[in-house]
Amino acid sequence: MNRTFALASRTRKELLRDPLSYIFCLAFPLVMLAIMTIVDRSIPKEAGMTVFHLSQLAPGIAVFGQTFLMLFTSLTVSKDRSGYFLVRLYATPAGSRDFILGYLLPMMEISLMQCGIIYLASWIVSLILGTPLSAGGLLLSLLMLQPSAVLFICIGLLFGTLFSEKSAPGLCSIIISLGSFLGCIWFDADSLGGIMLKICKALPFYYCTKLGRSALQLNFGTSAFWLPLLIVAGCAVVLALLSVIVFRSRMRTDLA
Amino acid sequence: MNHEKEMIRTKDLTKKFGEKTAVDHLDLTIHEGELFSLLGVNGAGKTTTIRMLSCLSRPTSGEALVGGFSCLDQAEKVKEIIGISPQDTAVAERLTVQENLAFMAALYTQDKAVCRERTERMIRLFHLEEVAGSQARTLSGGWKRKLSIAMAMIGEPQVLFLDEPTLGLDVLARRELWNLIGKLKEKRTIILTTHYMEEAEQLSDRIAIMHRGRIRACGTLSEIETLAGVSGLENAFVEIAGKEELL
Ligand SMILES: Nc1ncnc2c1ncn2[C@@H]1O[C@H](COP(=O)(O)OP(=O)(O)OP(=O)(O)O)[C@@H](O)[C@H]1O
Ligand SMILES: [Mg+2]
Repeated sequence: MNRTFALASRTRKELLRDPLSYIFCLAFPLVMLAIMTIVDRSIPKEAGMTVFHLSQLAPGIAVFGQTFLMLFTSLTVSKDRSGYFLVRLYATPAGSRDFILGYLLPMMEISLMQCGIIYLASWIVSLILGTPLSAGGLLLSLLMLQPSAVLFICIGLLFGTLFSEKSAPGLCSIIISLGSFLGCIWFDADSLGGIMLKICKALPFYYCTKLGRSALQLNFGTSAFWLPLLIVAGCAVVLALLSVIVFRSRMRTDLA
Repeated sequence: MNHEKEMIRTKDLTKKFGEKTAVDHLDLTIHEGELFSLLGVNGAGKTTTIRMLSCLSRPTSGEALVGGFSCLDQAEKVKEIIGISPQDTAVAERLTVQENLAFMAALYTQDKAVCRERTERMIRLFHLEEVAGSQARTLSGGWKRKLSIAMAMIGEPQVLFLDEPTLGLDVLARRELWNLIGKLKEKRTIILTTHYMEEAEQLSDRIAIMHRGRIRACGTLSEIETLAGVSGLENAFVEIAGKEELL
Protein backbone atom coordinates (compact mmCIF):
# COMPACT_ATOMS: atom_id res chain seq x y z
CA MET A 1 0.00 0.00 0.00
CA ASN A 2 2.93 2.26 0.77
CA ARG A 3 4.09 1.92 -2.82
CA THR A 4 0.68 2.87 -4.15
CA PHE A 5 0.67 5.98 -1.98
CA ALA A 6 4.17 6.93 -3.05
CA LEU A 7 3.19 6.66 -6.71
CA ALA A 8 -0.11 8.46 -6.14
CA SER A 9 1.53 11.31 -4.30
CA ARG A 10 4.06 11.72 -7.09
CA THR A 11 1.30 11.91 -9.72
CA ARG A 12 -0.66 14.38 -7.60
CA LYS A 13 2.32 16.65 -7.01
CA GLU A 14 3.31 16.70 -10.66
CA LEU A 15 -0.24 17.53 -11.76
CA LEU A 16 -0.80 20.23 -9.16
CA ARG A 17 2.49 21.87 -10.11
CA ASP A 18 1.64 22.07 -13.78
CA PRO A 19 -0.03 25.40 -14.59
CA LEU A 20 -1.70 23.79 -17.58
CA SER A 21 -3.79 21.59 -15.26
CA TYR A 22 -5.34 24.70 -13.73
CA ILE A 23 -5.93 26.37 -17.08
CA PHE A 24 -7.71 23.37 -18.60
CA CYS A 25 -9.33 21.70 -15.61
CA LEU A 26 -10.48 24.84 -13.78
CA ALA A 27 -10.08 28.15 -15.61
CA PHE A 28 -11.54 27.00 -18.91
CA PRO A 29 -14.71 25.42 -17.41
CA LEU A 30 -15.20 28.45 -15.15
CA VAL A 31 -14.87 30.85 -18.10
CA MET A 32 -17.44 28.76 -19.98
CA LEU A 33 -19.70 28.92 -16.94
CA ALA A 34 -19.46 32.71 -16.93
CA ILE A 35 -19.94 33.07 -20.69
CA MET A 36 -22.91 30.71 -20.85
CA THR A 37 -24.56 32.40 -17.89
CA ILE A 38 -24.31 35.71 -19.74
CA VAL A 39 -25.65 34.03 -22.89
CA ASP A 40 -28.51 32.65 -20.83
CA ARG A 41 -29.41 36.15 -19.63
CA SER A 42 -29.50 37.39 -23.23
CA ILE A 43 -31.83 34.66 -24.53
CA PRO A 44 -35.42 35.92 -24.56
CA LYS A 45 -37.72 34.01 -22.19
CA GLU A 46 -40.13 33.21 -25.05
CA ALA A 47 -37.42 31.09 -26.70
CA GLY A 48 -37.97 28.56 -23.92
CA MET A 49 -34.31 27.53 -23.87
CA THR A 50 -33.39 26.11 -20.49
CA VAL A 51 -30.10 24.36 -21.19
CA PHE A 52 -28.07 27.37 -20.01
CA HIS A 53 -30.05 27.88 -16.80
CA LEU A 54 -27.62 27.38 -13.96
CA SER A 55 -29.32 24.22 -12.72
CA GLN A 56 -28.69 22.64 -16.13
CA LEU A 57 -25.49 24.44 -16.97
CA ALA A 58 -23.51 23.72 -13.77
CA PRO A 59 -23.61 19.90 -14.11
CA GLY A 60 -22.85 20.24 -17.82
CA ILE A 61 -19.79 22.36 -17.06
CA ALA A 62 -18.71 19.85 -14.41
CA VAL A 63 -18.83 17.02 -16.96
CA PHE A 64 -17.03 19.26 -19.44
CA GLY A 65 -14.29 19.70 -16.83
CA GLN A 66 -14.06 15.94 -16.37
CA THR A 67 -13.21 15.46 -20.03
CA PHE A 68 -10.00 17.37 -19.31
CA LEU A 69 -9.15 14.99 -16.48
CA MET A 70 -9.16 12.35 -19.20
CA LEU A 71 -6.73 14.45 -21.23
CA PHE A 72 -4.36 14.90 -18.29
CA THR A 73 -4.49 11.24 -17.30
CA SER A 74 -3.57 10.21 -20.83
CA LEU A 75 -0.80 12.81 -20.93
CA THR A 76 0.69 11.67 -17.62
CA VAL A 77 0.63 7.99 -18.55
CA SER A 78 1.91 8.42 -22.10
CA LYS A 79 4.72 10.72 -20.94
CA ASP A 80 5.83 8.24 -18.28
CA ARG A 81 5.87 5.56 -20.93
CA SER A 82 7.69 7.54 -23.59
CA GLY A 83 10.56 8.51 -21.30
CA TYR A 84 12.33 5.84 -19.34
CA PHE A 85 10.55 6.75 -16.14
CA LEU A 86 8.09 3.88 -16.13
CA VAL A 87 10.85 1.47 -17.17
CA ARG A 88 12.87 2.54 -14.17
CA LEU A 89 9.83 2.01 -11.94
CA TYR A 90 9.27 -1.43 -13.47
CA ALA A 91 12.67 -2.42 -12.05
CA THR A 92 11.52 -1.57 -8.50
CA PRO A 93 9.40 -3.88 -6.35
CA ALA A 94 6.23 -1.93 -7.31
CA GLY A 95 3.62 -3.92 -9.28
CA SER A 96 0.92 -3.15 -11.84
CA ARG A 97 -1.70 -2.57 -9.14
CA ASP A 98 0.49 0.11 -7.58
CA PHE A 99 0.98 1.80 -10.94
CA ILE A 100 -2.70 1.81 -11.89
CA LEU A 101 -3.91 3.09 -8.53
CA GLY A 102 -1.01 5.53 -8.54
CA TYR A 103 -2.66 7.17 -11.54
CA LEU A 104 -6.32 6.73 -10.65
CA LEU A 105 -6.39 7.80 -6.99
CA PRO A 106 -4.91 11.29 -7.43
CA MET A 107 -7.08 11.89 -10.49
CA MET A 108 -10.17 11.04 -8.40
CA GLU A 109 -9.08 13.47 -5.71
CA ILE A 110 -8.56 16.15 -8.32
CA SER A 111 -11.97 15.34 -9.77
CA LEU A 112 -13.64 15.92 -6.39
CA MET A 113 -11.78 19.22 -5.94
CA GLN A 114 -12.58 20.29 -9.48
CA CYS A 115 -16.28 19.54 -9.22
CA GLY A 116 -16.38 21.14 -5.78
CA ILE A 117 -14.90 24.38 -7.08
CA ILE A 118 -17.14 24.49 -10.16
CA TYR A 119 -20.22 23.92 -7.99
CA LEU A 120 -19.11 26.47 -5.43
CA ALA A 121 -18.70 29.02 -8.23
CA SER A 122 -22.10 28.08 -9.66
CA TRP A 123 -23.69 28.43 -6.25
CA ILE A 124 -22.18 31.89 -5.77
CA VAL A 125 -23.37 32.95 -9.24
CA SER A 126 -26.84 31.60 -8.44
CA LEU A 127 -26.90 33.68 -5.25
CA ILE A 128 -25.84 36.78 -7.15
CA LEU A 129 -28.57 36.18 -9.74
CA GLY A 130 -31.13 35.71 -6.96
CA THR A 131 -32.02 32.15 -8.02
CA PRO A 132 -30.15 30.12 -5.41
CA LEU A 133 -29.34 26.48 -6.23
CA SER A 134 -30.13 23.93 -3.54
CA ALA A 135 -27.02 23.14 -1.53
CA GLY A 136 -28.20 19.56 -0.98
CA GLY A 137 -28.76 19.13 -4.70
CA LEU A 138 -25.27 20.39 -5.45
CA LEU A 139 -23.77 17.99 -2.95
CA LEU A 140 -25.70 15.01 -4.27
CA SER A 141 -24.86 15.96 -7.83
CA LEU A 142 -21.19 16.19 -6.92
CA LEU A 143 -21.32 12.62 -5.65
CA MET A 144 -23.33 11.38 -8.61
CA LEU A 145 -20.77 12.84 -11.00
CA GLN A 146 -17.95 10.70 -9.62
CA PRO A 147 -18.84 7.57 -11.61
CA SER A 148 -18.50 9.63 -14.78
CA ALA A 149 -15.17 10.93 -13.48
CA VAL A 150 -14.04 7.30 -13.23
CA LEU A 151 -15.31 6.76 -16.75
CA PHE A 152 -13.35 9.66 -18.23
CA ILE A 153 -10.20 9.00 -16.21
CA CYS A 154 -10.19 5.37 -17.31
CA ILE A 155 -10.54 6.41 -20.95
CA GLY A 156 -7.49 8.58 -20.31
CA LEU A 157 -5.58 5.67 -18.77
CA LEU A 158 -6.55 3.52 -21.74
CA PHE A 159 -5.39 6.08 -24.32
CA GLY A 160 -2.23 6.87 -22.38
CA THR A 161 -1.37 3.16 -22.26
CA LEU A 162 -2.16 2.40 -25.88
CA PHE A 163 -0.96 5.52 -27.67
CA SER A 164 2.12 7.69 -27.74
CA GLU A 165 2.62 11.03 -26.09
CA LYS A 166 1.88 12.60 -29.49
CA SER A 167 -1.32 10.78 -30.47
CA ALA A 168 -3.00 10.33 -27.07
CA PRO A 169 -3.86 14.05 -26.59
CA GLY A 170 -5.25 14.23 -30.13
CA LEU A 171 -7.52 11.27 -29.52
CA CYS A 172 -8.59 12.77 -26.22
CA SER A 173 -9.58 16.02 -27.91
CA ILE A 174 -11.88 14.00 -30.19
CA ILE A 175 -13.57 12.55 -27.12
CA ILE A 176 -13.68 16.02 -25.54
CA SER A 177 -15.55 17.50 -28.52
CA LEU A 178 -17.69 14.43 -29.03
CA GLY A 179 -18.42 14.04 -25.33
CA SER A 180 -19.36 17.64 -24.72
CA PHE A 181 -21.51 17.74 -27.86
CA LEU A 182 -23.23 14.37 -27.54
CA GLY A 183 -23.29 14.77 -23.78
CA CYS A 184 -25.77 17.59 -24.46
CA ILE A 185 -23.75 20.06 -22.47
CA TRP A 186 -24.33 22.87 -24.95
CA PHE A 187 -27.78 21.99 -26.28
CA ASP A 188 -30.91 20.19 -25.21
CA ALA A 189 -31.27 16.93 -27.14
CA ASP A 190 -34.42 15.96 -25.25
CA SER A 191 -36.32 18.88 -26.78
CA LEU A 192 -34.71 18.23 -30.17
CA GLY A 193 -35.65 14.57 -30.28
CA GLY A 194 -35.28 12.55 -33.48
CA ILE A 195 -32.07 11.02 -34.73
CA MET A 196 -29.92 13.40 -32.69
CA LEU A 197 -31.45 12.19 -29.43
CA LYS A 198 -31.00 8.58 -30.54
CA ILE A 199 -27.29 9.13 -31.17
CA CYS A 200 -26.87 10.87 -27.82
CA LYS A 201 -28.65 8.06 -26.02
CA ALA A 202 -26.42 5.46 -27.64
CA LEU A 203 -23.36 6.90 -25.91
CA PRO A 204 -22.66 7.20 -22.17
CA PHE A 205 -21.91 10.96 -22.20
CA TYR A 206 -25.58 11.92 -22.38
CA TYR A 207 -26.30 9.96 -19.20
CA CYS A 208 -23.39 11.57 -17.34
CA THR A 209 -24.86 15.04 -17.79
CA LYS A 210 -28.42 13.86 -17.28
CA LEU A 211 -27.52 12.19 -13.98
CA GLY A 212 -25.73 15.30 -12.75
CA ARG A 213 -28.69 17.51 -13.69
CA SER A 214 -31.33 15.26 -12.15
CA ALA A 215 -29.32 14.94 -8.94
CA LEU A 216 -28.94 18.70 -8.72
CA GLN A 217 -32.67 19.15 -9.12
CA LEU A 218 -33.31 16.30 -6.67
CA ASN A 219 -35.32 14.57 -9.35
CA PHE A 220 -35.33 10.86 -8.53
CA GLY A 221 -37.40 9.62 -11.45
CA THR A 222 -36.47 6.29 -12.95
CA SER A 223 -35.55 7.61 -16.39
CA ALA A 224 -34.10 10.85 -15.00
CA PHE A 225 -31.97 9.46 -12.20
CA TRP A 226 -31.82 5.70 -11.68
CA LEU A 227 -31.42 4.63 -15.28
CA PRO A 228 -28.60 7.12 -16.02
CA LEU A 229 -26.93 6.15 -12.72
CA LEU A 230 -27.03 2.50 -13.70
CA ILE A 231 -25.70 3.17 -17.19
CA VAL A 232 -22.91 5.52 -16.11
CA ALA A 233 -21.82 3.27 -13.25
CA GLY A 234 -21.92 0.24 -15.54
CA CYS A 235 -19.82 1.97 -18.20
CA ALA A 236 -17.39 3.17 -15.53
CA VAL A 237 -16.91 -0.38 -14.24
CA VAL A 238 -16.44 -1.76 -17.74
CA LEU A 239 -13.90 0.91 -18.68
CA ALA A 240 -12.07 0.51 -15.39
CA LEU A 241 -11.74 -3.23 -15.97
CA LEU A 242 -10.73 -2.69 -19.56
CA SER A 243 -8.06 -0.15 -18.72
CA VAL A 244 -6.63 -2.42 -16.00
CA ILE A 245 -6.48 -5.37 -18.41
CA VAL A 246 -4.90 -3.26 -21.14
CA PHE A 247 -2.36 -1.66 -18.78
CA ARG A 248 -1.32 -5.05 -17.43
CA SER A 249 -0.96 -6.67 -20.81
CA ARG A 250 0.95 -3.62 -22.05
CA MET A 251 3.26 -3.91 -19.07
CA ARG A 252 3.85 -7.55 -19.91
CA THR A 253 4.76 -6.76 -23.51
CA ASP A 254 6.99 -3.89 -22.35
CA LEU A 255 8.87 -6.39 -20.25
CA ALA A 256 9.00 -9.05 -22.96
CA MET B 1 38.09 -7.82 -2.83
CA ASN B 2 35.88 -10.70 -2.03
CA HIS B 3 35.83 -13.17 -4.86
CA GLU B 4 34.00 -15.87 -2.95
CA LYS B 5 30.40 -15.09 -3.69
CA GLU B 6 28.92 -14.98 -7.17
CA MET B 7 26.47 -12.10 -7.51
CA ILE B 8 25.67 -12.51 -11.17
CA ARG B 9 25.82 -15.59 -13.28
CA THR B 10 24.44 -16.02 -16.77
CA LYS B 11 24.40 -19.16 -18.81
CA ASP B 12 23.76 -19.09 -22.55
CA LEU B 13 21.82 -15.89 -22.03
CA THR B 14 20.31 -14.95 -25.38
CA LYS B 15 17.98 -12.23 -26.59
CA LYS B 16 16.61 -12.12 -30.08
CA PHE B 17 14.51 -9.36 -31.61
CA GLY B 18 12.93 -11.14 -34.55
CA GLU B 19 15.80 -12.28 -36.73
CA LYS B 20 18.31 -10.09 -34.96
CA THR B 21 20.31 -11.55 -32.09
CA ALA B 22 21.10 -8.72 -29.67
CA VAL B 23 22.73 -10.89 -27.02
CA ASP B 24 24.20 -14.19 -28.10
CA HIS B 25 24.77 -17.04 -25.63
CA LEU B 26 26.34 -14.91 -22.96
CA ASP B 27 28.21 -16.68 -20.15
CA LEU B 28 29.19 -14.26 -17.46
CA THR B 29 30.16 -14.52 -13.83
CA ILE B 30 30.50 -11.43 -11.67
CA HIS B 31 31.50 -11.62 -8.02
CA GLU B 32 30.33 -9.69 -5.01
CA GLY B 33 32.02 -6.32 -4.64
CA GLU B 34 33.31 -6.28 -8.18
CA LEU B 35 33.04 -3.31 -10.49
CA PHE B 36 32.52 -4.81 -13.88
CA SER B 37 32.59 -2.75 -17.08
CA LEU B 38 30.82 -3.75 -20.26
CA LEU B 39 32.38 -2.15 -23.31
CA GLY B 40 31.27 -2.36 -26.89
CA VAL B 41 30.39 -0.32 -29.94
CA ASN B 42 26.86 1.01 -30.44
CA GLY B 43 24.42 -1.85 -30.73
CA ALA B 44 26.79 -4.38 -29.20
CA GLY B 45 24.10 -5.51 -26.74
CA LYS B 46 25.18 -3.82 -23.51
CA THR B 47 21.83 -2.23 -22.66
CA THR B 48 19.96 -5.40 -23.63
CA THR B 49 22.17 -7.41 -21.26
CA ILE B 50 21.50 -4.98 -18.43
CA ARG B 51 17.78 -5.03 -19.15
CA MET B 52 17.68 -8.81 -18.91
CA LEU B 53 19.67 -8.82 -15.67
CA SER B 54 17.32 -6.23 -14.15
CA CYS B 55 14.15 -8.14 -15.13
CA LEU B 56 13.15 -5.49 -17.66
CA SER B 57 13.39 -7.88 -20.57
CA ARG B 58 12.80 -11.61 -20.82
CA PRO B 59 15.63 -13.66 -22.28
CA THR B 60 14.77 -15.60 -25.43
CA SER B 61 16.75 -18.49 -23.98
CA GLY B 62 19.34 -19.23 -21.36
CA GLU B 63 19.29 -18.15 -17.76
CA ALA B 64 20.42 -15.34 -15.51
CA LEU B 65 20.90 -15.38 -11.75
CA VAL B 66 21.28 -12.24 -9.67
CA GLY B 67 22.15 -12.71 -6.02
CA GLY B 68 21.28 -16.35 -6.48
CA PHE B 69 17.75 -15.54 -7.68
CA SER B 70 16.53 -16.29 -11.16
CA CYS B 71 15.62 -13.24 -13.25
CA LEU B 72 12.94 -15.38 -14.88
CA ASP B 73 11.07 -17.00 -11.99
CA GLN B 74 12.09 -14.86 -9.04
CA ALA B 75 11.89 -11.37 -10.50
CA GLU B 76 10.29 -10.06 -7.30
CA LYS B 77 13.30 -11.13 -5.26
CA VAL B 78 15.76 -9.80 -7.82
CA LYS B 79 14.03 -6.40 -7.93
CA GLU B 80 14.50 -6.00 -4.20
CA ILE B 81 18.28 -6.23 -4.40
CA ILE B 82 19.03 -4.29 -7.58
CA GLY B 83 19.14 -0.64 -8.56
CA ILE B 84 19.31 0.67 -12.09
CA SER B 85 20.27 3.98 -13.59
CA PRO B 86 18.99 3.80 -17.18
CA GLN B 87 20.87 5.09 -20.20
CA ASP B 88 18.43 8.02 -20.39
CA THR B 89 18.05 9.87 -17.12
CA ALA B 90 14.53 9.14 -15.97
CA VAL B 91 13.39 11.34 -13.12
CA ALA B 92 10.04 12.87 -12.13
CA GLU B 93 10.43 16.29 -13.71
CA ARG B 94 8.13 18.29 -11.47
CA LEU B 95 9.30 16.77 -8.20
CA THR B 96 12.21 18.33 -6.38
CA VAL B 97 15.47 16.45 -6.02
CA GLN B 98 14.59 15.58 -2.46
CA GLU B 99 11.08 14.46 -3.40
CA ASN B 100 12.41 12.29 -6.20
CA LEU B 101 14.66 10.50 -3.73
CA ALA B 102 11.98 10.13 -1.07
CA PHE B 103 9.57 8.84 -3.70
CA MET B 104 11.98 6.13 -4.85
CA ALA B 105 12.86 5.26 -1.27
CA ALA B 106 9.20 4.62 -0.48
CA LEU B 107 9.05 2.03 -3.25
CA TYR B 108 11.59 -0.08 -1.35
CA THR B 109 10.69 0.33 2.29
CA GLN B 110 7.56 0.83 4.37
CA ASP B 111 9.43 2.61 7.12
CA LYS B 112 9.05 6.41 6.92
CA ALA B 113 12.06 7.06 9.15
CA VAL B 114 14.25 4.83 6.99
CA CYS B 115 13.01 6.69 3.89
CA ARG B 116 13.94 10.03 5.38
CA GLU B 117 17.29 8.81 6.58
CA ARG B 118 18.20 7.29 3.19
CA THR B 119 17.08 10.43 1.35
CA GLU B 120 19.27 12.58 3.58
CA ARG B 121 22.19 10.24 3.15
CA MET B 122 21.95 10.28 -0.66
CA ILE B 123 21.75 14.07 -0.70
CA ARG B 124 24.93 14.24 1.37
CA LEU B 125 26.72 11.50 -0.52
CA PHE B 126 26.01 13.03 -3.94
CA HIS B 127 26.47 16.62 -2.70
CA LEU B 128 22.95 17.49 -3.82
CA GLU B 129 22.35 19.97 -0.98
CA GLU B 130 22.29 23.07 -3.14
CA VAL B 131 19.70 21.67 -5.54
CA ALA B 132 17.69 19.57 -3.04
CA GLY B 133 14.71 21.94 -3.26
CA SER B 134 14.79 22.48 -7.03
CA GLN B 135 12.45 20.72 -9.39
CA ALA B 136 14.27 18.15 -11.50
CA ARG B 137 13.25 19.82 -14.77
CA THR B 138 15.37 22.84 -13.88
CA LEU B 139 18.56 20.81 -13.37
CA SER B 140 21.47 20.67 -15.82
CA GLY B 141 22.43 17.34 -17.39
CA GLY B 142 25.14 16.68 -14.83
CA TRP B 143 22.91 17.23 -11.82
CA LYS B 144 20.22 15.10 -13.41
CA ARG B 145 22.68 12.25 -13.90
CA LYS B 146 23.73 12.47 -10.29
CA LEU B 147 20.11 12.47 -9.18
CA SER B 148 19.36 9.51 -11.44
CA ILE B 149 22.22 7.51 -9.94
CA ALA B 150 21.25 8.52 -6.42
CA MET B 151 17.73 7.26 -7.17
CA ALA B 152 19.19 3.95 -8.31
CA MET B 153 21.10 3.75 -5.02
CA ILE B 154 18.28 4.61 -2.67
CA GLY B 155 17.01 1.07 -2.24
CA GLU B 156 20.49 0.15 -0.98
CA PRO B 157 20.91 -2.36 -3.78
CA GLN B 158 23.44 -5.16 -3.59
CA VAL B 159 23.81 -4.93 -7.32
CA LEU B 160 23.88 -1.59 -9.12
CA PHE B 161 23.52 -1.24 -12.89
CA LEU B 162 24.84 1.98 -14.39
CA ASP B 163 24.12 2.30 -18.11
CA GLU B 164 26.46 4.98 -19.48
CA PRO B 165 26.45 6.98 -16.24
CA THR B 166 28.68 9.77 -17.55
CA LEU B 167 27.03 10.25 -20.95
CA GLY B 168 27.06 13.90 -21.90
CA LEU B 169 28.95 15.14 -18.85
CA ASP B 170 31.78 17.65 -18.91
CA VAL B 171 35.28 16.60 -17.86
CA LEU B 172 34.98 17.85 -14.30
CA ALA B 173 31.53 16.39 -13.73
CA ARG B 174 32.74 13.10 -15.11
CA ARG B 175 35.72 13.03 -12.73
CA GLU B 176 33.46 13.85 -9.83
CA LEU B 177 31.15 11.02 -10.76
CA TRP B 178 34.09 8.63 -11.03
CA ASN B 179 35.03 9.53 -7.49
CA LEU B 180 31.50 8.91 -6.37
CA ILE B 181 31.23 5.57 -8.13
CA GLY B 182 34.47 4.57 -6.44
CA LYS B 183 32.92 5.47 -3.10
CA LEU B 184 29.67 3.65 -3.86
CA LYS B 185 31.50 0.39 -4.28
CA GLU B 186 32.07 -0.66 -0.70
CA LYS B 187 30.64 -4.18 -0.83
CA ARG B 188 28.34 -3.45 -3.71
CA THR B 189 28.57 -5.10 -7.08
CA ILE B 190 28.46 -2.57 -9.89
CA ILE B 191 27.91 -3.27 -13.57
CA LEU B 192 28.74 -0.28 -15.69
CA THR B 193 28.61 0.35 -19.41
CA THR B 194 30.56 3.12 -21.04
CA HIS B 195 32.07 4.37 -24.26
CA TYR B 196 34.90 6.10 -22.41
CA MET B 197 37.93 3.85 -22.18
CA GLU B 198 39.55 5.99 -19.53
CA GLU B 199 36.50 5.53 -17.35
CA ALA B 200 36.67 1.77 -17.59
CA GLU B 201 40.43 1.84 -16.92
CA GLN B 202 40.00 3.98 -13.84
CA LEU B 203 37.09 2.22 -12.25
CA SER B 204 36.90 -1.41 -13.22
CA ASP B 205 38.10 -4.53 -11.51
CA ARG B 206 37.28 -6.47 -14.62
CA ILE B 207 36.28 -5.50 -18.13
CA ALA B 208 34.36 -7.31 -20.86
CA ILE B 209 34.40 -6.28 -24.48
CA MET B 210 31.16 -7.14 -26.25
CA HIS B 211 30.62 -7.29 -29.95
CA ARG B 212 27.47 -8.32 -31.79
CA GLY B 213 26.03 -9.78 -28.61
CA ARG B 214 29.04 -11.89 -27.70
CA ILE B 215 31.84 -11.37 -25.25
CA ARG B 216 35.10 -11.21 -27.18
CA ALA B 217 37.39 -10.60 -24.25
CA CYS B 218 36.94 -10.58 -20.51
CA GLY B 219 39.36 -10.03 -17.68
CA THR B 220 41.40 -7.45 -15.83
CA LEU B 221 42.92 -4.58 -17.76
CA SER B 222 46.30 -6.27 -17.99
CA GLU B 223 44.75 -9.57 -19.02
CA ILE B 224 42.94 -7.82 -21.85
CA GLU B 225 46.08 -5.97 -22.89
CA THR B 226 47.98 -9.26 -22.97
CA LEU B 227 45.24 -10.90 -24.98
CA ALA B 228 45.22 -8.10 -27.53
CA GLY B 229 49.00 -7.82 -27.53
CA VAL B 230 48.93 -4.04 -27.18
CA SER B 231 49.06 -1.65 -24.26
CA GLY B 232 46.28 0.69 -23.21
CA LEU B 233 42.59 -0.22 -23.13
CA GLU B 234 41.73 1.91 -26.13
CA ASN B 235 44.28 0.14 -28.29
CA ALA B 236 43.14 -3.22 -26.99
CA PHE B 237 39.52 -2.30 -27.67
CA VAL B 238 40.28 -1.24 -31.22
CA GLU B 239 42.30 -4.40 -31.70
CA ILE B 240 39.52 -6.68 -30.42
CA ALA B 241 36.31 -4.95 -31.47
CA GLY B 242 37.81 -3.50 -34.65
CA LYS B 243 39.06 -6.85 -35.87
CA GLU B 244 35.63 -8.35 -35.35
CA GLU B 245 34.14 -5.56 -37.39
CA LEU B 246 36.39 -6.47 -40.33
CA LEU B 247 35.35 -10.13 -40.28
N1 LIG C 1 13.27 -3.35 -28.37
C1 LIG C 1 14.07 -3.69 -29.39
N2 LIG C 1 13.53 -4.12 -30.55
C2 LIG C 1 14.32 -4.47 -31.59
N3 LIG C 1 15.66 -4.43 -31.57
C3 LIG C 1 16.25 -4.01 -30.45
C4 LIG C 1 15.49 -3.61 -29.30
N4 LIG C 1 16.35 -3.23 -28.33
C5 LIG C 1 17.57 -3.38 -28.85
N5 LIG C 1 17.53 -3.85 -30.11
C6 LIG C 1 18.69 -4.16 -30.98
O1 LIG C 1 19.58 -4.97 -30.25
C7 LIG C 1 20.91 -4.58 -30.50
C8 LIG C 1 21.61 -4.27 -29.19
O2 LIG C 1 21.11 -3.07 -28.65
P1 LIG C 1 21.59 -2.45 -27.27
O3 LIG C 1 20.71 -1.33 -26.97
O4 LIG C 1 21.68 -3.54 -26.27
O5 LIG C 1 23.03 -1.94 -27.65
P2 LIG C 1 24.06 -1.12 -26.75
O6 LIG C 1 25.29 -1.94 -26.68
O7 LIG C 1 23.44 -0.71 -25.47
O8 LIG C 1 24.31 0.14 -27.69
P3 LIG C 1 24.60 1.68 -27.28
O9 LIG C 1 26.04 1.78 -26.99
O10 LIG C 1 24.26 2.41 -28.53
O11 LIG C 1 23.72 2.03 -26.13
C9 LIG C 1 20.87 -3.39 -31.44
O12 LIG C 1 21.13 -3.84 -32.73
C10 LIG C 1 19.45 -2.91 -31.35
O13 LIG C 1 19.04 -2.38 -32.57
MG1 LIG D 1 22.97 1.10 -24.57
